[in-house]
Amino acid sequence: MTKLTGFLPPALARPFAALGGVLFLIGAMLPWATFLLNDGPYPDKATLQFFDAPLELTGYRWNLLLFGVFALIATFAPTPAKARVLRAFGWGGLVISAITAIFIVGKGGGLGAITSADGNVAFGSIVGIIGGIVLILGAGAMPLDDVPHWSTKVFGLDGWAGRLAAWAVLLVAFAAMLYLVSLTLTAGGIGGAAFPYAGPIFLAFLGFAGGLLGALHGLGITGWIARLSELHRAFSIVVLLLCALALPFTDAGSQYWMQVAATIGVYAATAIGLNIVVGLAGLLDLGYVAFLGIGAFVAANLSGAVASTVGWNLPFPLAALISAAVAGIFGAIVGSPTLRVRGDYLAIVTLAFGEIFYRTAQNDIGNLTGGASAIPGIPPISMFGTAFNESVTLLGTELPIGVLYYFLIVLVVAAVMAVFANLKNSRIGRAWIAIREDEDAARAMGIATGRAKILAFLVGATLAGLAGAIFVHKLGTASYDSFKFLESVTLLAAVILGGMGTIPGAVLGASLLFVLPEKLREFEDYRLLVFGLALIFIMRFRPQGLVPDRVRRAEFAGETAEGKSIEEIQEQAVLEQEAELEREHEAPATAKETGR
Amino acid sequence: MRNQTVKAASLVAAGVLLLAACGTNKEEAPAGGGDNQAACDTSKGTLVVGVISPQSGELSALGLGIKNATDLAVNQANEKCTVKGYKLVVQAEDDQKNPQIGAQAATKLASTPGVVGVVSTLNSSVSQSVQPILDQAGILQISPANTNDTLTKGENFDTAPKRPYKTYFRTCTVDSLQGPYAADYLIDKAGKKNIAIITDGLTYGEGLADTFTKEAEKKGAKIVTRQKIGEKDTDFSSQIAAVKPFKPDAVYYGGQYPQAGPLSKQLAGAGLNVPLMGGDGIFDDNFIKLGGKDGDLATSVGAPTEELDSAKAFVDAYGKAGYKEGFSAYGAFAYDAANAIITSLSKTVGDKEWSDSMRADPVKNTQEYSGEGATGKVAFDEYGDSTNKVLTVYQVSGGKWDPVQTGEFGG
Amino acid sequence: MGTLLQQIANGIVLGATIGLIALGYTMVYGIIQLINFAHGEVFMVGAFGGLAIYRWVLPESWQEQWYIALPLMLLGGVLVAVVIAVLMERFAYRPLRNAPRLAPLITALGVSVALQEAIRLWFPDADAAQPFPRVFIDKQIDLGPIEISASGLLLIVVSIVLSILLQAYVSQSRMGRAMRATSQDRDTARLMGVNPDRVIVLTFVLGAALAGVAGVLYGSYITNVDNSIGFQNGIFAFTAAVLGGIGSLRGAVIGAFIIGLIKTLGGQYLPGGTQYDYVWIFVVLILVLVFRPQGLFGDVERVRA
Repeated sequence: MTKLTGFLPPALARPFAALGGVLFLIGAMLPWATFLLNDGPYPDKATLQFFDAPLELTGYRWNLLLFGVFALIATFAPTPAKARVLRAFGWGGLVISAITAIFIVGKGGGLGAITSADGNVAFGSIVGIIGGIVLILGAGAMPLDDVPHWSTKVFGLDGWAGRLAAWAVLLVAFAAMLYLVSLTLTAGGIGGAAFPYAGPIFLAFLGFAGGLLGALHGLGITGWIARLSELHRAFSIVVLLLCALALPFTDAGSQYWMQVAATIGVYAATAIGLNIVVGLAGLLDLGYVAFLGIGAFVAANLSGAVASTVGWNLPFPLAALISAAVAGIFGAIVGSPTLRVRGDYLAIVTLAFGEIFYRTAQNDIGNLTGGASAIPGIPPISMFGTAFNESVTLLGTELPIGVLYYFLIVLVVAAVMAVFANLKNSRIGRAWIAIREDEDAARAMGIATGRAKILAFLVGATLAGLAGAIFVHKLGTASYDSFKFLESVTLLAAVILGGMGTIPGAVLGASLLFVLPEKLREFEDYRLLVFGLALIFIMRFRPQGLVPDRVRRAEFAGETAEGKSIEEIQEQAVLEQEAELEREHEAPATAKETGR
Repeated sequence: MRNQTVKAASLVAAGVLLLAACGTNKEEAPAGGGDNQAACDTSKGTLVVGVISPQSGELSALGLGIKNATDLAVNQANEKCTVKGYKLVVQAEDDQKNPQIGAQAATKLASTPGVVGVVSTLNSSVSQSVQPILDQAGILQISPANTNDTLTKGENFDTAPKRPYKTYFRTCTVDSLQGPYAADYLIDKAGKKNIAIITDGLTYGEGLADTFTKEAEKKGAKIVTRQKIGEKDTDFSSQIAAVKPFKPDAVYYGGQYPQAGPLSKQLAGAGLNVPLMGGDGIFDDNFIKLGGKDGDLATSVGAPTEELDSAKAFVDAYGKAGYKEGFSAYGAFAYDAANAIITSLSKTVGDKEWSDSMRADPVKNTQEYSGEGATGKVAFDEYGDSTNKVLTVYQVSGGKWDPVQTGEFGG
Repeated sequence: MGTLLQQIANGIVLGATIGLIALGYTMVYGIIQLINFAHGEVFMVGAFGGLAIYRWVLPESWQEQWYIALPLMLLGGVLVAVVIAVLMERFAYRPLRNAPRLAPLITALGVSVALQEAIRLWFPDADAAQPFPRVFIDKQIDLGPIEISASGLLLIVVSIVLSILLQAYVSQSRMGRAMRATSQDRDTARLMGVNPDRVIVLTFVLGAALAGVAGVLYGSYITNVDNSIGFQNGIFAFTAAVLGGIGSLRGAVIGAFIIGLIKTLGGQYLPGGTQYDYVWIFVVLILVLVFRPQGLFGDVERVRA
C-alpha cells in the first residue's frame, strides 16, 4: 500500500487532524437543512437548532459526532497506526456528510437548502465535508505505520485459560457483528412512502459502518479476530451459525427482512455452487442459473401444485433430493461436451445451454414448465407439522412469518459451505485448483482432468438444484421468467465481487447484490445501469473481489501467495546476488590477509 | 506552501459564501399547494396506496402508466379531501416483471404500516406470487391488467370456478370475455373465415388466443395456423412467411402494442394485406404510430371514451398533470382501481382512526363498490371480476381508433 | 415451395445484417482474443444514432428524400457507433490487456448491460419500441413466389459489398498487413515496427463502422428498433463468427448467411416451429464449438489461445 502523498508538512499533521475532529463536532450540531423539505422532514431532526443538546442527536448526526470525538481521542492519545485510523474516520465522515448534502440539495432544489435561505442558516453538511477533507489531509501527513499485529495469545494467557479468553473475544466480536448487520439492514427504515429518505440514510450509515470498520482494521483488530477465528475454527463456525440464526430476534426480524434474507440465502447457496465451478475449477459458466431453474421446476412438479402435470406430491426432503439429483445429472450433461473447450469458448457454450433452458422453459417443453402461465400455487414447505409460511413463537418471542424458511436456508447455506470447504481441501479440490491454474500441467501431473471437470459441473449443479427447490417453495410459483441470462450474470457478478474461491466471498457478494437494490429502491430505474458500470469498475480496480482467495489475490496483483510483491522479491534476489558478489570480492582479500 | 494553503482556504471560504446565495425549491407551505392544503385536514396522518408494476425494463411504459394513473387518482382525492383526516400517498414498487421481485415488493408493502390497498399487477405471472402475500396480510388488491381467468376462478375456471383469494379484484376484462367477443365480431360482422393466430407467448396473449380459438371454431371459422413470436422480436419475417401460404383473411394477435404495430406493418409489407385484430393490449395510439394500418381492430373494456364523461375527464386530467409517460393501455383501469380503493377506504374510515386491523373492511366495501370510472361502470362480482362486461370493438381509420361496435358478450 | 423460397430470402436478409456484425466480432477476437459481448450493443447504438439524426438534425423537407436522409443517417449511425467502440476499447478493455481471461469478459458483459440501459434511460421514449423511418424506396419487389422489400435487397447488397471491401483492405493494404501481423503475434509485430495499440483501435473502428451501417439499414428494413436488438442479433452474429471460423472474415460472412437460413428454415420446418428457432441456433453453436472449434475456415491453432 503506498503512502498518501502528503500535501502538508508533518508538523501540520496533528493540528489538522484535531481541526478535522472539531469540525465534525461542530458540523454534527449545526442544522443541516434550511427548511422542511417538501417530501417531509429529513430524518434525525436535520433542522435542529444551532448547538442544541448534543446528546439528543440521532442517526447520522450522532454518527458524525462520534467520529469527531473518536478522531480527537485518536489524535491526542497514543494510538497504534494513527494515520490509518484517522484516515478511516475522515473518509467515513466525508461520506456521511457528502451523501446527506447531495440528497438534501437534490430534494431541496438548490444549494440554498444546505447553506442559507429565508433567514435560516444551515452549514452542517458543508462543515462536515470540510472536516472530512481536513482530517484526511492531516492523516495523510502522518507516517503510515504498518497495521499492528496483535498476539493471538489473548492477554498472554496459555492453555485452557487462553482458549477461554479467545472464545470470549470471538463471542463479543461476532455478537457485535450481528448487531452491526441488523443495524445495516434496518438503517433508514423500510423505505417507501413511510420512509421517503431511506436510500440516503442507508448510504450515510454505510459511510459510518465503513469508517468504523476501517478504523478497526487500521488498529489491527479485524486482522486479529480473523486470525483468532482461524485458530479456533470450530468454535467460530458454531458461533457464526448461532448468530445467523439469531438474526430474527433482532430489530431486523420483520417479515420483509426475513424474506430478503431467505432470498439472499438461496442465491448465496447457488453462488457457492457457482464458486466451485468458476472459483475453484476455473470453468467459466455463463448459464448457471439454468441449474437453479431445473431444480425449481422439478420441485414444483413434485410439490402437489394444482398446475403441475406430474401429479405426485412428495414430502419436501425427498423432493429436494430428487431436484438436486436431476440438476446434477444435467450438470454432468452440460459438462461432458465442454471437456474439449476452453476459456472464452466454454463461457459461450454454457451461455448457449443457459439460453436453451430459458427458451425451452418458456415454451413449456413436455408440459413441465407451464410456459407463460408458469406453475403457480406451490404449497409452502411443511415439515414437523408446521407450514413454513406461518408465524412461530420461539423462546417467548413471536417470530415473523417466513422465519422458518430463513432458518432452513441458514442451515442449508452452512451445509453447502461445509461441503465447499471440505472439497477445497480434498484431493479433488486441489485437482480443480490445479486445472484452474494450468490445465496442461495438471494433466501432465496425472490428474484426470476430464473427470474432474465433469465432477465440478455435477457438484455445482447439484447445489444449485437444491437451492432451486427451496426457492420455488418460498416463492410459491415457478416461472421461466426467474431464470433469465441476466440472473446468470448477476450470480457470476456476486461470486466475483465477493471474491472467487472463498466461502465468505460468495455469501458477501450475494448479499450485496440483493440487499442494495432493496435498500435503494428509489434508484430503481438506474439499477441495471449501475450494475453494468459496477462490473466494469470492479474488473478494472479490484478484480480479486472483496474477500480474495490468497492465490487469486496474488494472481491479480502480481504477488506471491504470501502477499509479497513479485517485483520486490525479484529486487531482493538481485540485491542478494550483489551482496554475494561483494562478499566474494572481499573474501579473497581477507583470505590473503590471513594467509590462506 | 503557506501561501498555497492560505489561498486554498480563502477560495473555500469564498465558495461557501457564494453557495449561500443559491436558491432552494422551498414551497410556500410544506408539501406543496398552499390554499388547498389548508382546506384539508390531514391531522390523523398518512395512508398509503401501493402500486406494484414493472417500472423498469421492457414493459416499463405500461407499468409507469399504471403508476401515474394511480398517482393522479390519489392527488385528486387529496385535493377533494376524500378520506377525512388523512393524507394519501402512493408507494410504487417495481416488480421488473419478475415474480420474486414482485413477491418482495408485496412483502414490503405488507409490512409497511398504513397500507390500505395495492393496485397490482400488470403480469399475471407476477400476480401469482403477489396474491398469497397480500391476502395473508388481508390487504386489498385490485389489478388493472391481469386477464388470466385462473386468478379469480382458480385452476378449473371454466368447469368448477372457485375464488382463491377474497382480497383480489380486477377492473379489466378477462380472457374468457374478450377473446370470444372478438371472435364474434370478426366472424359474424366482418365475415372472416380463415384466421391465423399469432401470439407473443406470454400469459396474456396465450390466454386470449385460446379463448378466441374456442369461440371461433364454435362459429365455424377455421384457425389456419398459430404462430408465436419471441418476447423481444422486432423482425417477424419468419412467422409471416409461415403464415402466408395459408392465405388467411385476418390475423388475430395476442400480445401488446409494441410488437403488434410493427407486426401489422410487416404483414402488409409481405403482401398479407389483411386486418390484424387484438385485445386491449394493442388498443393504444402507439400501435398506430408503430405501424398499425387502417382496418386493424382491437377490443377494449367499457364504452368508448367519447361517450363517457368520466373517461373524458380522466384523459383531460391526465394530460394536465404532465406525466412523462402516457397512460398507455392500462392507465384508465388503474385509475378506476385506485378510486375504488380510495372510496372504500373513505367509507371505512369515516370519522374514525385507521388501524391496520381494519384492513378487512375496505375489502368488504370494495366488494360492494359501484361507481362510474374512466372505463365505464365499475363494480365487482362474486369472484372479484369486473361486472363491466361491456366491450367495444375499435377500428383504425384515418390514422385513429374509431369505435365500431359496443355491446356485452352474451355467451 | 413458395414458402421455402420466401424463408430462404428472409434468411438471406437476416444473414446480411448478421454478417456485418459478425465481421466486427471476428476481427476483434482475432486481434486481442476478446469476445466483445458489447459489440451487439454497438450495432444497436448505431441504429439509434441514425434515428437521432433523422429526428433532430434533418429538417422536415429532407426527411422525405431518402437519397439525402439515408446517407446522413448512415453517417450519424457510423459516427456514434465508432465513438462508443473507441471509448469502450480505451477505457474498458485496454487496461485489462494483460489480465486473466475472466476480467475482459465480465467487463464486456458490464459494458453491454450499461449501454442497453443508457439508451433506455436517456434516449427519449426508448423504453418501448421506436418507429424507425424507412429511408429507402418503399417498394416490395416480386421475384416470382418471393416478396422482398427494397430495403432488404439494399441490406444484402451493402453487406456483400462492404465485406468484399473489407477483405480487400485487410489482405492488401499496409494497415491490413499490420492487422494480420498483430493478430498472429503481437510482440513480433511490435518489433517489426507496428504500433499494436493503433492497430487495435483501427480494428474496433472498422468493426463498429460496419455495425453502425448494419444498424441503420436494419432499422430501415424492420421499421422499428428498441434497445434489445443488440443482444439478440449479437448472439446470432457471434454464433456466425464461430461457425465460420473465428478470425476469418470470409467465414464470418458465410457463417452469417448459414445462421440466417437456419433461423428461418429451422423455424419453418423443424419441430417446435418458430418458437424454437433460437434453440436451433444455440444447438448449432454448441455443436460447432465442441466438434469443430475452428469453424469452417479457421485455423486450429487459433483456438488454443
